[in-house]
Amino acid sequence: MAGQEDPVQREIHQDWANREYIEVITSSIKKIADFLNSFDMSCRSRLATLNEKLTALERRIEYIEARVAYQLEPLCLDLELTDSSWESSGHSADIDQVLTM
Amino acid sequence: MPLVKRNIDPRHLCHTALPRGIKNELECVTNISLANIIRQLSSLSKYAEDIFGELFNEAHSFSFRVNSLQERVDRLSVSVTQLDPKEEELSLQDITMRKAFRSSTIQDQQLFDRKTLPIPLQETYDVCEQPPPLNILTPYRDDGKEGLKFYTNPSYFFDLWKEKMLQDTEDKRKEKRKQKVLQEIQKIEQKNLDRPHEPEKVPRAPHDRRREWQKLAQGPELAEDDANLLHKHIEVANGPASHFETRPQTYVDHMDGSYSLSALPFSQMSELLTRAEERVLVRPHEPPPPPPMHATGDMKPIPTCISSATGLIENRPQSPATGRTPVFVSPAPPPPPPPLPSALSTSSLRASMTSTPPPPVPPPPPPPATALQAPAVPPPPAPLQIAPGVLHPAPPPIAPPLVQPSPPIARAAPVCETVPVHPLPQGEVQGLPPPPPPPPLPPPGIRPSSPVTVAALAHPPSGLHPTPSTAPGPHVPLMPPSPPSQVIPASEPKRHPSTLPVISDARSVLLEAIRKGIQLRKVEEQREQEAKHERIENDVATILSRRIAVEYSDSEDDSEFDEVDWLE
Repeated sequence: MAGQEDPVQREIHQDWANREYIEVITSSIKKIADFLNSFDMSCRSRLATLNEKLTALERRIEYIEARVAYQLEPLCLDLELTDSSWESSGHSADIDQVLTM
Repeated sequence: MPLVKRNIDPRHLCHTALPRGIKNELECVTNISLANIIRQLSSLSKYAEDIFGELFNEAHSFSFRVNSLQERVDRLSVSVTQLDPKEEELSLQDITMRKAFRSSTIQDQQLFDRKTLPIPLQETYDVCEQPPPLNILTPYRDDGKEGLKFYTNPSYFFDLWKEKMLQDTEDKRKEKRKQKVLQEIQKIEQKNLDRPHEPEKVPRAPHDRRREWQKLAQGPELAEDDANLLHKHIEVANGPASHFETRPQTYVDHMDGSYSLSALPFSQMSELLTRAEERVLVRPHEPPPPPPMHATGDMKPIPTCISSATGLIENRPQSPATGRTPVFVSPAPPPPPPPLPSALSTSSLRASMTSTPPPPVPPPPPPPATALQAPAVPPPPAPLQIAPGVLHPAPPPIAPPLVQPSPPIARAAPVCETVPVHPLPQGEVQGLPPPPPPPPLPPPGIRPSSPVTVAALAHPPSGLHPTPSTAPGPHVPLMPPSPPSQVIPASEPKRHPSTLPVISDARSVLLEAIRKGIQLRKVEEQREQEAKHERIENDVATILSRRIAVEYSDSEDDSEFDEVDWLE
């Protein structure tokens, strides 16, 4: 009985060792997948914030360009403020803010 | 339900059936598991590559934007230093005269469209079973819709919403127009009360001439309508700001009496005619859709109508009846709005929407192109009899001896607007005042062609009056370019040679230039219309903005100009 158990026991021990090995590998794979997902999400959120800032900047620059260009060449460009958010703030203050950014 | 975006492929490592005849099963399982692990690693690497690729693309686009922003800021800083506060000249006039500042930011639209599907999801989608191939039945359908649209239509809701929005804008516009009309009628009534007779007199003089001619042409049958029409023409004449098409009541009468444009003073005539040219181009879209979609009706032509620059024509059901050719039927009565709400049933909508497949261009260039190239086409005798609507004051005087419709000469007309010429002058031959040269020229596109046709037609009858001879004379040199020059050389000796050469050159050159210009413009306008159709189709922002503009705008002009601007 003991003799018979040995090869079986050995096999079973070997099998358990293999399974542990496989388990380690698969858990590492899962960790990698998790890391990739969270990296993806955080990157996307940061890029979205960046996108927002860029869009806001672009709009301000457009407005300022239009205003400045009008000052320099009143006959070429015609401008009028239509964006309500701009109306609330003072015009001259905007230029200073943007330029000091 | 959250969709799994990316999947690592061999989900279960050892859920496979073991092959038979293996002694050491445990080892077998281990090996199988290890092999699956390797496959999982490969799909993981693909997963990672995809993630980083998307992130990289986004960051890359941001880098471009940041660089351009940087440049702009630099330029701005330079230009601001050049600013001198003393130079500022802010006067109230400047502020009011300025064009409104339009920011050019792009809004996100159509976020969940098929095109924006990420690649891994697209791959997952491709693995799925395809819908049944109902599109193979499409060529056998009568109404031209895609077979698959009845089974599954991803753009259904968007089309539904779009139709509703466009319909709402149209309704609001009509309401405003009606209100305006009512206001103007009230004003006119007040004016009439104040000065009962003065306003009537002024426009009358130009009316009478034309009406007389038309009376003679149409015969006694329609003379009885004059009593009705007079009253309304006076109203029209006294309401200068309103457009002709905004009067639904006068519409019906005008359509019946076919005096539609005759009563207008000249300036309005010319304006209408120029506008009508645009509409003529729009209208070619309509005749093809209404016939196929007759049952489901009016939805398809509506977008085309609405998206036209002026958006004033609403004669959809009429158009197939009145003419397959792009006849100048602009004053045709608008089909009453009631049919439109009734047609808003889901089935009709779906049917209409299915007819806007991926290239959502209204019935394609071929029909309008061929319609516009009508010159080459078909015998005008057919269209001649169709045109009910348009009567031109000038052609009658020039065309007294018109008897035979000569197809090749009518061919010279860019559009079959010469059609109305023929019914008219058959009745009248003499006794007309001399055709003033100015009348042929101002309404472009129609007059130059009509004198041409008139000239050619004037040839056969030998009895030539001195007055018409001068008019047809200049057109004689125009004929040689066109193939039907057979009649002309014969008639030339009949003309007074003295008047021919002097007037002919200037007039012929001018007429040819006008004709070419008009033809060119029409094609351009048609292309613009088509481009607008394509652009409008799926632009949520413009549709919404247009609707809001119509809702909150107080004046008609405002909404029309807004529409044009939004579409820029």
